[in-house]
Amino acid sequence: MYAIIDCDNCYVSCERIFRPDLNGKPVCVLSNNDGCVVARSNEAKALGIKAGLPYYQLKERFPNGEVTVFSSNYELYGDITDRVMSLVRKAAPTFYRYSIDEGFCDLSGMEHFDLKRWGEDLSAFIWKATRMPVSIGIAPTKTLAKMASHYAKHYKGYNHCCMIGSNEQRVKALQRYEIDEVWGIGRRYTARLQALGIKSAFDFASHAESWIRATLNNVVVIRTWKELNGIDCIPMEDMSKKKSICTSRSFPGMVTDMETLRTSISNFAARCAEKLRKQESVAQTVCVFIDTNHFREDLPQYWNMAEERLLTPSNSTQQIVQTATKCMERIFRQGFHYKRAGVIVMGICPYNGIQTNFIDYDAERFEKLKRIDEALDRINREYGSETIVLGSQQYTAKGGKGKAGVFKDSIKHDFRSPCYTTRWSDIPEAT
Amino acid sequence: MSMEDNKPIDGAEYINMGDAKRLKLPFFEGLAAGFPSPAIDYQHESLDLNEKFVHHPEASYFVRVRGESMIDLGILDGDICLVDRQEEIYDGNIVVAFVNGGLTVKTLDTSTKDKGYLRLIPANSKFKPIIIDADDQFILQGKVTSIHRDTRKY
Repeated sequence: MYAIIDCDNCYVSCERIFRPDLNGKPVCVLSNNDGCVVARSNEAKALGIKAGLPYYQLKERFPNGEVTVFSSNYELYGDITDRVMSLVRKAAPTFYRYSIDEGFCDLSGMEHFDLKRWGEDLSAFIWKATRMPVSIGIAPTKTLAKMASHYAKHYKGYNHCCMIGSNEQRVKALQRYEIDEVWGIGRRYTARLQALGIKSAFDFASHAESWIRATLNNVVVIRTWKELNGIDCIPMEDMSKKKSICTSRSFPGMVTDMETLRTSISNFAARCAEKLRKQESVAQTVCVFIDTNHFREDLPQYWNMAEERLLTPSNSTQQIVQTATKCMERIFRQGFHYKRAGVIVMGICPYNGIQTNFIDYDAERFEKLKRIDEALDRINREYGSETIVLGSQQYTAKGGKGKAGVFKDSIKHDFRSPCYTTRWSDIPEAT
Repeated sequence: MSMEDNKPIDGAEYINMGDAKRLKLPFFEGLAAGFPSPAIDYQHESLDLNEKFVHHPEASYFVRVRGESMIDLGILDGDICLVDRQEEIYDGNIVVAFVNGGLTVKTLDTSTKDKGYLRLIPANSKFKPIIIDADDQFILQGKVTSIHRDTRKY
């Protein structure tokens, strides 16, 4: 059996931990740059606020502060969810964190326990210790467990934990589940399945495997079909450590010049390098993509990506930034309005497992870069992120004179909550 | 009025609350040839404040004290309280609570519970107890398990 542990309205719940007065009230968290709504409390959902709603529209609809709004505070969310995942890790024999707000447990060997009760107790315990509400789904496959967690989240009667234990329960759960909610079925396949008259997960799962293979020859779709039929076939390794790290962002306005784009790319790349060092790993490949605004049909559209393999896998800020800017320069085209760009580092492996390439490997330089990165991380940890950055990460000052504003200040976060648990300057005060 | 933190949770035996301490390994300076150090049998972890004070790291956070309301218990303005949500709270414990929009640190007095209210008792005769009844917004945040102060300024 597998269990999935999923934080309920994760970002909103993190914000509420130190603002318990907001329990039961509509709360929204905005995307980077305060662009649009990315997380909503149940009360906000009940008001008809949709995910992705631009902030200015939210403000128009609720001008009098009926909805409490936060800028995203990933430092806070990261710390709180680390705590939640750490508690889960201690409660189950095997645990894999899947994303910021969910993780899987392999419960093999725990079959003699009352697993439904185990889930209820774990959820209550996590709530008590962290004030994070979590829903737990338990089932013989991960896809079914995900479905069970959905039921646990939406129906109070389950007491935060839903278990699909018997075949009867499985069939019932499938029948009431819309196909577009099924984990592993993308938007594209949902449309095709619906056109074929498949509405529920049950409709999908009751077709013969041969029909699925003939109609939609896609590995993930077939795997999902098996999982819904109780055949466990998603390997745990697929769930575990990230094999790539992506830092990407939509720009507040649109970017037309290469200099500004290069600055953003430098920052994305620096962030990737930092994340790599944090998890003590290195990347083999650096990839960059740039994209125009698809909502502006009046403007010419352009999308491209480029990647470059590092001779020796690295997590050095300098190396990754240099490689990323080289990639960007290869694909940049003048005359487009860029809306979004990102850097992805791939082929991630642990730092101690580096295969050095003798042509590229220069021990002295390697040691130097490593020391610079260590100093960089130490200073930025002590004095706040981006206290020290590479020159290329700084944006040109207004009026075009020299380098000025750093990345941090170029992002809007007007409604950011304090980092209550990660900065001494931000800890809550009590009288 | 919410007192849910006050009752121990059921069925906790299913959950391995485990060893919450940070794992620290003794440090050996290389592997020396020749005679082994006679001290090696006595190798022991050095003392760690986290181990001593932070019993439930996932459930703990820090709160800074503002004001003089607890000075008779030695809790001064600027002190840092370690607050643990996982510790059971009983009558007479020092707690942090969210009361009508703000956090406060006080001693919890549940002896008046039968009369329909609770009291949060300050440790300073200049301050009055805070009376909490059903109309108040009151959410217990956790038990204060230790107080920390940098005394270099003295």
